[in-house]
Amino acid sequence: MSSKRFILNSTRSARQGSLINVGKDSEEYRALTSSMVMCAADMAEVGLVEGQPALIRTAFGESRFICEQGKVPEGMIVVPYGPPTCRLMGGDTDGTGMPTSKGWEVEVIPLEKI
Amino acid sequence: MGGKVTCTLGEVKQRADFIIYWGGNPAECHPRHFTKYTIMQKSKFLPRGRKDRTMVLVDIRETKSAKAADIFLQVRPGKDFELITILRALIKDQPVRDEDIAETGLDRAAVEDLVRRMKGAKFGCMFFGMGLSMTRGKHMNSAALLTLAAEMNAFTKFVAMPMRGHGNVTGADVIMRWQTGYPFGISFNRGYPRYNPGEFSTVDVLVRGDCDAAFIIGADPGATMPQPAIDHLARIPTIVLDPHITHTSRLARVHITTAPQGISAPGTAYRMDELPMPLSPALKSPYPTDEEVVRRINEAIAKKPFWLPDGGPSPHQWTSQVNL
Repeated sequence: MSSKRFILNSTRSARQGSLINVGKDSEEYRALTSSMVMCAADMAEVGLVEGQPALIRTAFGESRFICEQGKVPEGMIVVPYGPPTCRLMGGDTDGTGMPTSKGWEVEVIPLEKI
Repeated sequence: MGGKVTCTLGEVKQRADFIIYWGGNPAECHPRHFTKYTIMQKSKFLPRGRKDRTMVLVDIRETKSAKAADIFLQVRPGKDFELITILRALIKDQPVRDEDIAETGLDRAAVEDLVRRMKGAKFGCMFFGMGLSMTRGKHMNSAALLTLAAEMNAFTKFVAMPMRGHGNVTGADVIMRWQTGYPFGISFNRGYPRYNPGEFSTVDVLVRGDCDAAFIIGADPGATMPQPAIDHLARIPTIVLDPHITHTSRLARVHITTAPQGISAPGTAYRMDELPMPLSPALKSPYPTDEEVVRRINEAIAKKPFWLPDGGPSPHQWTSQVNL
């Protein structure tokens, strides 16, 4: 397992916005919010392949995501906002009222291959 | 410096010939924004539309919005504040070291070209998103960008505006500002409004476990807030008013289905430039509106005797904590 740390950025997308109106319980919405995008070089370094699940761990919690290859900068992971990202967030707002929801340093642990 | 130098989206549509998006992805998150209000619009002052406007995107990654931009500047994650500070220095012809610019992930030529274009614009507008305001630095990043916009007015007209999301988040801020003087993070538990983000803001109150009940209207904190806050919502009596069954509904004691605003309930929604927009419902709903449910709850509470046997504040005073 690689000891490399990544910067995780939670984002929103047009598809996610549409699916909210379909319902957050829909299988498609769940699949979308449980997916993460990494660049090919990072996937190879960590030992992940397209469609493989991985555990993302922060200082506050962990969640399971399915890996997708995409155009993101090296060292960065992009995931859509959703219940899995809530489990990665700490409760401290640094006195601002807003928790940090982007730019966490995370660990990636590959899970069983499909 | 405080405050915000801003304008309406109508002014952007009519006049903005130089538009910067910073830490936002409107192509995905505000799909009608480009075509209705900014780069694609033709106007009296910009008759050729897109050809008369320059769009710059500053972001940590190449999003779909980069395709629409004339210039894409890929800033290193967590270096937005540094880049804004460098821009603030360069517009005033103050010296900046090459290594300080390189730290942001950009080179001097790109930054100086941006400064030249900003100063050369007739009407510049900076839209900023959560990539700026919700990364490390948070309000300091936003304040830096708003200060840059204010300082640019020494050279040309320049404004800044946050890219607000969701249905009516701006409305919540505007109404609380109008009613109390504060936009969010307000406590009424002494009978008058007190403002202190970090103490009275929703996430902090929930994470500390300070509240023993929650009343949530048209929001889904169960799918967006940090887990410790969600855990507390599940522990206390939580009441949700929402047209849909949400993650928050599932952990609430009571969910009341209400009519969706703007579709089958009238009202007012505030656009992200803080303009109120009347909503005209097109359909009828079997469900009550949020307003009606809140009114009926208020009426039921008013009929109850005051809960302190030896007086205390009069029943008409607000004694509950309101957090937005």
